[in-house]
Amino acid sequence: MREAHGETTVVVETARVVEAATHLRDERGFVFLADISAADYLGWGGHGVAGYIGTAAGRDLNFPATQGLAALPEPKPKRFSVSYHLLALGERSGAARVRLQVWVEEGEPVPSVVTVWPTADWHEREAYDLMGIAISGHPNLKRILMDEDWEGHPLRKDYPIGGEPVRFSGEE
Amino acid sequence: MGVEPKKRLADYGLQSERVMWVGKGPGKFEDELGDLERALGLTTLEKAVHWSQTKSMWPDQFGLSCCAIEMMSVVNSRYDIARFGMEAFRASPRQADLLIVSGRVAHRMAAPLRQIYDQMLEPKWVIAMGACASSGGMFNNYSILQGVDRIVPVDIDVPGCPPRPEALMEGIIRLHEKVQAGVPPAYELRGVAS
Amino acid sequence: MAVAPETARPVYEGTRIPTPIPTVLQVPEALRESGELLEVNFGPNHPSTHGVLRLIVELNGEEVVGLAAAIGYLHTAFEKNMEQKTWWKAIPYPSRMDYLGYQANELAFVLAIEKLLALETPRKAVWMRMLLCELNRIQSHLVWLATAALELGAISMFWYSFRERDTILDLAELVGGVRMHTRYFQAGGLAEDIPSGFFVECRKFTDWMPSAVDQYERLVNRQQIWLERTKGLGLLSADDAIALGQSGPVLRGSGVDWDLRRHEPYLAYDEVDFDVPVRPEGDVYARYRVRMQEMRESTRIVAQCLDRLEGMEGEPWIADDRKVVLPPREELHTSMESLIHHFKIVTEGYRVPEGEVYVPVESPRGEFGCYVVSDGGPKPWRVKFRAPSFVALQATATCMSSAYIADMIAIVGSLDTVMGEVDR
Repeated sequence: MREAHGETTVVVETARVVEAATHLRDERGFVFLADISAADYLGWGGHGVAGYIGTAAGRDLNFPATQGLAALPEPKPKRFSVSYHLLALGERSGAARVRLQVWVEEGEPVPSVVTVWPTADWHEREAYDLMGIAISGHPNLKRILMDEDWEGHPLRKDYPIGGEPVRFSGEE
Repeated sequence: MGVEPKKRLADYGLQSERVMWVGKGPGKFEDELGDLERALGLTTLEKAVHWSQTKSMWPDQFGLSCCAIEMMSVVNSRYDIARFGMEAFRASPRQADLLIVSGRVAHRMAAPLRQIYDQMLEPKWVIAMGACASSGGMFNNYSILQGVDRIVPVDIDVPGCPPRPEALMEGIIRLHEKVQAGVPPAYELRGVAS
Repeated sequence: MAVAPETARPVYEGTRIPTPIPTVLQVPEALRESGELLEVNFGPNHPSTHGVLRLIVELNGEEVVGLAAAIGYLHTAFEKNMEQKTWWKAIPYPSRMDYLGYQANELAFVLAIEKLLALETPRKAVWMRMLLCELNRIQSHLVWLATAALELGAISMFWYSFRERDTILDLAELVGGVRMHTRYFQAGGLAEDIPSGFFVECRKFTDWMPSAVDQYERLVNRQQIWLERTKGLGLLSADDAIALGQSGPVLRGSGVDWDLRRHEPYLAYDEVDFDVPVRPEGDVYARYRVRMQEMRESTRIVAQCLDRLEGMEGEPWIADDRKVVLPPREELHTSMESLIHHFKIVTEGYRVPEGEVYVPVESPRGEFGCYVVSDGGPKPWRVKFRAPSFVALQATATCMSSAYIADMIAIVGSLDTVMGEVDR
């Protein structure tokens, strides 16, 4: 459990996610699942941090801001994080929002929370589609935003942005 | 095909650059148009046909995103396009003449777009409204078609993000002027498939 | 005409969320075998879908027995694009997601950046942001009203609503330079000072708007066709709405009193006086009434913001932190530090400390959330937007239990989805 910027994050093991979710929903009143966000931390801490920044490899002339102390962001435990943003509706005096977080590696499945919050259906499909998080136990795990036969998971860090070089008029 | 002297756009009373520079001579647009005009040899009947084509060119509903809202604004009473006879946005492409592609076209949407274009009957025109339809806009990525002229031949591009309703009307008026001047629709100039 | 008594009885018994897939209305097996089903594709280009929504509908006669939604026809890779740009350059992107409620999108992203930076915005900026967000809410509800009425056949409403909408867009153009997608909110406050003449024009608008809403209601509130096509349709009980993650007018139309402006106030919503309309019926008509009342409440908020803002002439409109905020242009000619800071902020971008935040705001469609992960660098590491329309579409299958195909149009319209934010 940690608190930052006024938000509480609870990190659980992947296998116990459904148990934690059910506990939060039934005992703590977090009936509302606002969002499931997946994030890819490939390349985290490669270069650049806040303030006077540096890299573990020292100064780099191509990055002018590496002229200072070396300070790197906190390393992350695994490559992907899946955050469940929960909300407890109604007037409360305690914490109304909480973030339930699990960490997974590539290919590690995350149990689905559709039975706990039905709204997780499309959110999990999106996490699978765009990030490639394997969700186990999902009734309808198909791609949702990309085409059915799309290869690759676009929002991953190793997937290129695509597009094409900009052409200027007057050049051939 | 007559032996008339080459007529320039200006001879029709049209201006390609409607901006501030007084005394600017005919530009590249007019050169190209001049060659076309020579090749076309307009007659009075054709002129009448073109005139009537512009007077009730019905657009097809193809609003995709933000530009669609500005396209809807063009229909409302302030920027009325009913005065051009165009407020009847047809739902069926078979009944429409003009396809205003308003909004960003994802690759997934490209196939339906092409299908709608094919279902329209000749003569048909395409206005690529906004930066995203003209060139992909601010989204240069794996998902957005970088310009709708990749899949349909476009007559007019209207810049803006989103273009003001007046800008869209300017585009529509220029299209009307092009048609009246006898310029063929884009599919005849550039080929249907690109 | 009879008005339904507003008692606390449940909208329907139990839950209507389809199982096992909550978002797909499944055809009962017995019906499938009878061979009378017609599968129709309401394709991405259809006159009655808000943008590019594709519904695959199975009909038994006129009744909808199976429904599945296919989205992704407007997927624009916003989140990935924003990772490529610096924080300052990424600000124009969120507006284009929910292109009707664009100010709320910008606000969520900018608030998230400010939360990570722990940056205090001056009160003039706070109140102006509130004013613009409320104007945007009115504008979004006007477009909703126009298109929902258009689809049900009340075509004149389109012209009436867009008349007011143009006035609001004129106000937005007065401050931001463009009608839509003004990138007027910046990290730290507003991009520029409020131009003179704005208060007068805005005051004229707030004086006129309540009578405009009266006009809309006169057009449609007692119209028998409208009532028959909206009452009792698209029922969604409070428990189902919460389970399906609904928020905004859809949730409030189902009887749940939850509004982020009241319960988790951001900006200065705890200092203004407004009511939150809630209706218990859970049908299309309830959502319509909620939105109409919200327009009136938003006008009240705008008037109160104007009262406060008129006393703030000459105050700063953006924070003072030169590491984040661009210096005023006049200084660039005289001060070397300003020039350097301007250069660094524009080319490399300001750095946002490491961390992750989730900031929800009340957009016209519901809870619009922005989850930002920063690695301390000049570019966002991960930006994820919680789009209320994405979630609202999930409720289509539940709302559609035993509905006819004409009702489907009304129901999908009442959920007020904007496909730009669904597909992101």
